[in-house]
Amino acid sequence: MKIRGTVAAALASAGILLVGWQTGTQVNGISTVASSTTATGTTGAAGTGSAGTGSSGTAGSSGSSSSTGSSSSSGSIGSSGSSAAGTYKGNTVQTRFGPVQVQITVASGKITDITALQLTNTDGKSIQISNRAAPLLRSKVLAAQSANVQTVSGATITSDAYLTSLQAAIDAANL
Amino acid sequence: MQRTSDPMPAATGTFVLKARTFECMGTVIGLTLPMGSPAEGQPGPDELVAATAVVERLFQDLDEIFSLYRPDSEASRLARGELKLPHASAPMREAYAEAHEWRLRTEGAFTPERPDGVLDLSGIIKGHAIREAGTSLLALGRRDWCLNAGGDVLVSGSPRPGSTEPWTAGVVDPADRRTLITGYALGGNGRHNAIATSGSAERGEHIWRAGNGAQDGGGFVQVTVAAADIVTADVLATAIVAGGAPMLNHAADNWDVAVLAIRADGSMLATPAFQPA
Repeated sequence: MKIRGTVAAALASAGILLVGWQTGTQVNGISTVASSTTATGTTGAAGTGSAGTGSSGTAGSSGSSSSTGSSSSSGSIGSSGSSAAGTYKGNTVQTRFGPVQVQITVASGKITDITALQLTNTDGKSIQISNRAAPLLRSKVLAAQSANVQTVSGATITSDAYLTSLQAAIDAANL
Repeated sequence: MQRTSDPMPAATGTFVLKARTFECMGTVIGLTLPMGSPAEGQPGPDELVAATAVVERLFQDLDEIFSLYRPDSEASRLARGELKLPHASAPMREAYAEAHEWRLRTEGAFTPERPDGVLDLSGIIKGHAIREAGTSLLALGRRDWCLNAGGDVLVSGSPRPGSTEPWTAGVVDPADRRTLITGYALGGNGRHNAIATSGSAERGEHIWRAGNGAQDGGGFVQVTVAAADIVTADVLATAIVAGGAPMLNHAADNWDVAVLAIRADGSMLATPAFQPA
């Protein structure tokens, strides 16, 4: 369950990164990058110095443009390949589960790994990120009896059906 | 017309729960308050009568506008085409706007229009009435209460005022409505104050199924949603019945809700809050 939530968050962050790529490469005159394999592996944000080469207007030529994520990138650059590669950290995003930051690893233009860098709540404890529903066996369910509930939730009952309902019994007994 | 249940001896502390009910919107609405000694500043029977009267008036007023069973209601005049939405009253236009917003948020699983195109806001108006009643009760200074309108529940505070003890709502078994499948804690210190259940067991097919959302055999006969507020719980329960498992996942991912969904064969899907620890 945790993995699904992580993947969802990672994809969201990856989306941000891809937007970053798009933005960066449009400067260089390349129209399609995203997750395709036309971008080179050079990454510039970490200050590797190679970015200048790619951004000198060789638009459309293979293997010379740079791309960066929307935040820092941390090396492991594909040297001479014609594909985007590297690891990229997404922005820290505030979710209702707390701050979430993911790192993706890209090779040959494809995301090969997603790691959660930050997945804790304010107490510093690991939290359950997924709220997905799973099968529930009736024998495992938390038992409840009408004696220890104060009210009953059910599909809307008509006034007539109310008379024979558990809720009517509870109302009549005050508890 | 209000009916009051007989008082019972206090089972816990010095409080005793007392309920009053009335009929409206084709169902029965009940308000339950913990009663204490009036000498100690706790609400007494008079406060319950007054609070229930406020709630009943609010429900009656909304029913007069929105009921499709009343030929003279504004909703009926809209349905007959005698009145156009831009010329409708402010409450009608606001309810429509809210329902339309929910249609977008649920990707069409919740819709304020019947298949024949008639505007039907009954899917949202009961939750709206419960929410307004809750606001009124708080404005009256009532901090601890449980309001149940035909199986949709909103609570405030605790059945034992001053404590953090939650209210407990039972979830009815669609196969045997005299038994409960499970219970869910509302109010107290919890995040969820509201719980709503949708299904077709009692009122027939009152939920309009959206396109191909509910697959044969995979559809739910009853869906219960707990949320911070009653409209969210009510709308999402309806949407999940109509939209099936995809809508269930959409709701669990995008709202802070707990969901218990039951299929016709009795099998169940539940989010973690409904799962045993």
